[in-house]
Amino acid sequence: MNKVKRTWNINGERREAEIPPVRRFLDVLREDLDLKGTKEGCGEGECGACTVIVDGEPVLSCMLPAGQVPDSAEVTTVEGLEKTPGGRLLQAAYAEKGAAQCGFCIPGMIVSSYAMLSRDPDMDPGRIREAHAGNICRCTGYEKIVEAIQSAAEQWPAEAKG
Amino acid sequence: MSTVTAKTFDDVACAFPATLQEALELMADEKTRGRPLAGGTDLMVQWESGVLEMPERAVSVKHLSELRNIEETDGEVMIGASVTHMGIRRSPLTQKYLPSLVDAAATIGGFQIQTMGTIGGSVANASPAGDLAPSLMITDGTVVVASVRGEREVPVTKFWTGYRKIDLEPDELIVRFRLPKMPDGHREAWRKLGPRQAQAISKVMGSCRGHVANGVVKSFRVAIGSIAPTCVRLYDVEKWVEGKKLDEAVLAEAEQRTSDGINPIADIRSTAEYRKWVTGRIVRGFLEQLAG
Repeated sequence: MNKVKRTWNINGERREAEIPPVRRFLDVLREDLDLKGTKEGCGEGECGACTVIVDGEPVLSCMLPAGQVPDSAEVTTVEGLEKTPGGRLLQAAYAEKGAAQCGFCIPGMIVSSYAMLSRDPDMDPGRIREAHAGNICRCTGYEKIVEAIQSAAEQWPAEAKG
Repeated sequence: MSTVTAKTFDDVACAFPATLQEALELMADEKTRGRPLAGGTDLMVQWESGVLEMPERAVSVKHLSELRNIEETDGEVMIGASVTHMGIRRSPLTQKYLPSLVDAAATIGGFQIQTMGTIGGSVANASPAGDLAPSLMITDGTVVVASVRGEREVPVTKFWTGYRKIDLEPDELIVRFRLPKMPDGHREAWRKLGPRQAQAISKVMGSCRGHVANGVVKSFRVAIGSIAPTCVRLYDVEKWVEGKKLDEAVLAEAEQRTSDGINPIADIRSTAEYRKWVTGRIVRGFLEQLAG
């Protein structure tokens, strides 16, 4: 059988999957685990719509073989953000600044924001732009997105650091 | 019975060896050997698009702890093959001793590609536009490859043997890079030209390591990518400029000799004429940076 078993901690919940090892993690999340918040944009690593966090690092789930996500990995998808103080803060800041237009890029964008601010919330606009260079938005021109992230960084809760 | 070719990701078997030794044993046997799979940032795209045929089997090397360290000896920094671009950016050792490699790693894709893609994968992918190649070449370091037969070292400058070709036997894995540290008083520089600043594939890029004292070039190594089937060292220009005082005439001639000495390709990313001209400008800029 061409399958591997993995147990992950996704958004604070223990999830098990028995999957073909090179199936894209994006497809495992969406189809096998019914977490459809993560989007497929380009499917070739350019657009960042499929960004999720694995063990603290932002990764592209469209080019990540699911078997390479190790057992016990901590995974955060866009669905998990509202369970965290920092995630709720980012959601509110994106809404307040009008950072989403069509919205398709936003699940990946805001997950990148969360990954970045969790490492280092003291961010200047240049570093915010660098940390989001792998997330393409065709609507907003990025200004309001950067403003939202700055706003969240200023209020970033101490308990969400690290 | 005809053999069935793997067509989707679901058809690809993949081994997750627990140790490097186990991985080498899998690679030693034709029946268990598979395509080495590191971060997947090149292979997953090439498999899906059909640029490369989906393999029957892959052997994941990304998680192997033996391949994930950056260490130093007196004269060298050793980087494991599965160290990511982000790992190169964050390491104090690479920051101190291999600054152009750090700068190059920072220009590969966005953060997500940098946390996934590895140095070994980038080198094995052997794209002429592979951004790490110039910074590796200017160190005059080596690639260490291993098999159950033992280890073998290949100079970085000889590891790429042609367009998308590397000096690696079917049973071998790239395990680490031995890169001589930038000596005291030396500097390095990195330059990448693409259609835009973020997430671009290079039209031309390159690195230099050198030492200029009182305006005189004591040593100079320069490597340029995206202008030939493999990244190339510009040995003729290096030799010509060493020992010379960097005045305007020497800078102008170094620029001209660079442009005249290369025979770049034209492709979807740039024309041959532009690449000739701009490579000369880059080399001139490198010499000015080393002098400044």
